[in-house]
Amino acid sequence: MAEVDLSKKVADRYLKREVLGEGTYGVVYKAIDTQTGQTVAIKKIRLGKQKEGVNFTALREIKLLKELKDPNIIELIDAFPHKGNLHLVFEFMETDLEAVIRDRNIFLSPADIKSYLQMTLKGLAFCHKKWVLHRDMKPNNLLIGPNGQLKLADFGLARVFGSPDRRFTHQVFARWYRAPELLFGTKQYGSGVDVWAAACIFAELLLRRPFLQGSSDIDQLGKIFAAFGTPTPSQWPDMVFLPDYVEYQYVPAPPLRSLFPVASDDALDLLAKMFTYDPKVRISVQQALEHRYFTSAPLPTYPDKLPRPAPKRESVNSKVSDFNPNDGPTVLSPPRKSRRVMPDREGFEGNAYQGDRIDDRVGETRQAAGENTSRNEPVPMSVDFSIFGAKPPNRPTITSADRTHLKRKLDLEFQQPE
Amino acid sequence: MADFQTSTHRAKWIFTPEELVGKYKAANQRAIQTLEKYGATLMEVDVDGTISYPEPQVIAKDNADKHSRPKPISIEEEQFMRVFYENKLQEVCKNFHFPHKVQATALIYFKRFYLQWSVMQHHPKNIMLTCIYAACKIEENHVSAEELGKGISQDHQMILNNEMIVYQAWILEFDLIVYAPYRSIEGFIDDMEEFCGINDDRLQILQNLLHAAKMEVDKIMLTDAPLLFPPGQLALAALRSANQVHKVVDFERYLRSILSRQSSEHTVSELIEFLNAIDSWARKYKFPSDKDLKHINRKLKSCWGLSSHDEYAIPYLEIVTFNLMPFCFVLMPNFDWFSEVRSGIRNRSTSRRGAQMKCNLYLLILKCMSFMYKIRRHIWVSWQFLVLAP
Repeated sequence: MAEVDLSKKVADRYLKREVLGEGTYGVVYKAIDTQTGQTVAIKKIRLGKQKEGVNFTALREIKLLKELKDPNIIELIDAFPHKGNLHLVFEFMETDLEAVIRDRNIFLSPADIKSYLQMTLKGLAFCHKKWVLHRDMKPNNLLIGPNGQLKLADFGLARVFGSPDRRFTHQVFARWYRAPELLFGTKQYGSGVDVWAAACIFAELLLRRPFLQGSSDIDQLGKIFAAFGTPTPSQWPDMVFLPDYVEYQYVPAPPLRSLFPVASDDALDLLAKMFTYDPKVRISVQQALEHRYFTSAPLPTYPDKLPRPAPKRESVNSKVSDFNPNDGPTVLSPPRKSRRVMPDREGFEGNAYQGDRIDDRVGETRQAAGENTSRNEPVPMSVDFSIFGAKPPNRPTITSADRTHLKRKLDLEFQQPE
Repeated sequence: MADFQTSTHRAKWIFTPEELVGKYKAANQRAIQTLEKYGATLMEVDVDGTISYPEPQVIAKDNADKHSRPKPISIEEEQFMRVFYENKLQEVCKNFHFPHKVQATALIYFKRFYLQWSVMQHHPKNIMLTCIYAACKIEENHVSAEELGKGISQDHQMILNNEMIVYQAWILEFDLIVYAPYRSIEGFIDDMEEFCGINDDRLQILQNLLHAAKMEVDKIMLTDAPLLFPPGQLALAALRSANQVHKVVDFERYLRSILSRQSSEHTVSELIEFLNAIDSWARKYKFPSDKDLKHINRKLKSCWGLSSHDEYAIPYLEIVTFNLMPFCFVLMPNFDWFSEVRSGIRNRSTSRRGAQMKCNLYLLILKCMSFMYKIRRHIWVSWQFLVLAP
């Protein structure tokens, strides 16, 4: 049979180099674009085995990134099928914000933090302007390019919003970055969820460790309330009507200053506004960018002057580098994130949370909620690791395998024709 | 995604009428070349988007006299074929109760696909179904391929096989977000509410206008207009035609008010010209006659390299069973037919002939029911679909 291999022409354009990472939905390669000489990262996604055709996550990423072109959003250069795989060509990114935050050799000045946050918010503002919710904001999805530019990546959970009455799934974001309304099970939400996550990233930049490290959804809310006080109905009138609302014991808010001793007053003011409970009152990304924090001294550092982890050496054996925990993570988060090992967080508890899937969490919430109503007692607050500085549990993530499941199970259920 | 201005739709998928004709001609020409070279045109497609030409039909190719060779179909005939399946596409979407947005996206994918390919190369029925499946996926209105396939009793693997080439369509290049005029209509209606200062009892009139305009735009979506004009203009054209009947607003004054509120690159007269052009596309729209369809279908089948009794012919038996379906539905709740059948067998001796006939009838119904059960809830879709296929 004569084959019309149109994709070959495109495929020939890229010279494959070493493997950068391997993940649930494919392999990521470093490659050279022979047409421009540019270094690129190619995400290879297997086709043909899935019951539901082309991978959902990949499709969402393609359809949104094709339309979102901004200096603070990762560029999708090309997408083509070739030899049973779908190839997504992205601009090559050196490292990510998680690696920066974790690197003990890096000192982040207030101006550096300001710069990183500003770029994050700029990218996010662009998404929101185009009516796209990112829904997976976390340091590990904020990639940093060769010139220090920070870019939003991983749009596999992102979706268009703005249709009235449209219901979404609340099982989005890695737990530590999930807004309280999502933890209470809301299905109608807006850009506020991304703002909350951005605030968590801001706090993480200030503290140099994840801020609210809940071990379950219930615990996550406990952590949030321990930090900012249990919300009162006057603070957040709609709270009691949320689907999974449970009453928590009243805890007064400690002064924000006590949690962030070194932050400036402007920083704390912006942080408080981004961490507002009521999503309707929470500051928007655009308003956050106009906050005096960004115009007061010290001014944000120029991206190319920002401190970054030492560049990754050219590894002969990419497999080894994959497992080396001291290596800066390089590219495109999804394939790598599930196996990222944190040197100071290893141990029993680290792995205990790996298997924590959405199903389990839903069960947990229900169970806890049931207990609560039957005994008519508030859920006891757990010890707050982040505040007392104890060893935190391992970072929870949503792997792409979970996502597909989540997609089919949840979005189908809550679907409402417009 | 609500920014049409910076979209790939605006940048790459709005053409001039001349460009459009050029593309249709080129696609037709490519298919004709394939036909000359290989003796057939139907392409084989794999899940990863690999496309292969048909097996060269050497047998009797040289011996056969010119008349028995398959003849290519013309550009006009291709147009008819597309029109037919675009109607089918709307029908299937309506029967599945998909939102307008899904239907519009599927239609636009279908139109874009056949800018690059000829219907001689890819069977429009298959592409239509894949477009629907893809549109559901992209618009986050998830339907499994299996469910969709079952609903119209088609093989779902075929839907999946074509998925990649629909996304890609040579230069479709994965531009997957498309803008449909339905949302624009809703926006304009909201705006008119303010514009006319409408009170509660007039609100219903506006709702009627909305409804009528959506019907108009359904018609416009079947023409080439979506490839020639931005969705906002399609929406205005539909609203204007609907308004001619319902007479809710002074339309020209309304157009003026829109343009005065935003810095538009167009003047009112230009805009009216566009709307007139869209109207004329809608007027020119022609649905092929049964005779035309039969003729084209015969030609197409020989181009595809299929004999008339091949897989695409509709099995007679299925039609019969399908035609009996509504009958079964009527009978089902009224009879305790199981016991009836049994008693029919037992009382054979008394009124043997009558009972046997009755028994046969029930067995037939039973057969239908089991078949119906297999395809369950999309039965109406499939019924209509198969009976109406050319």
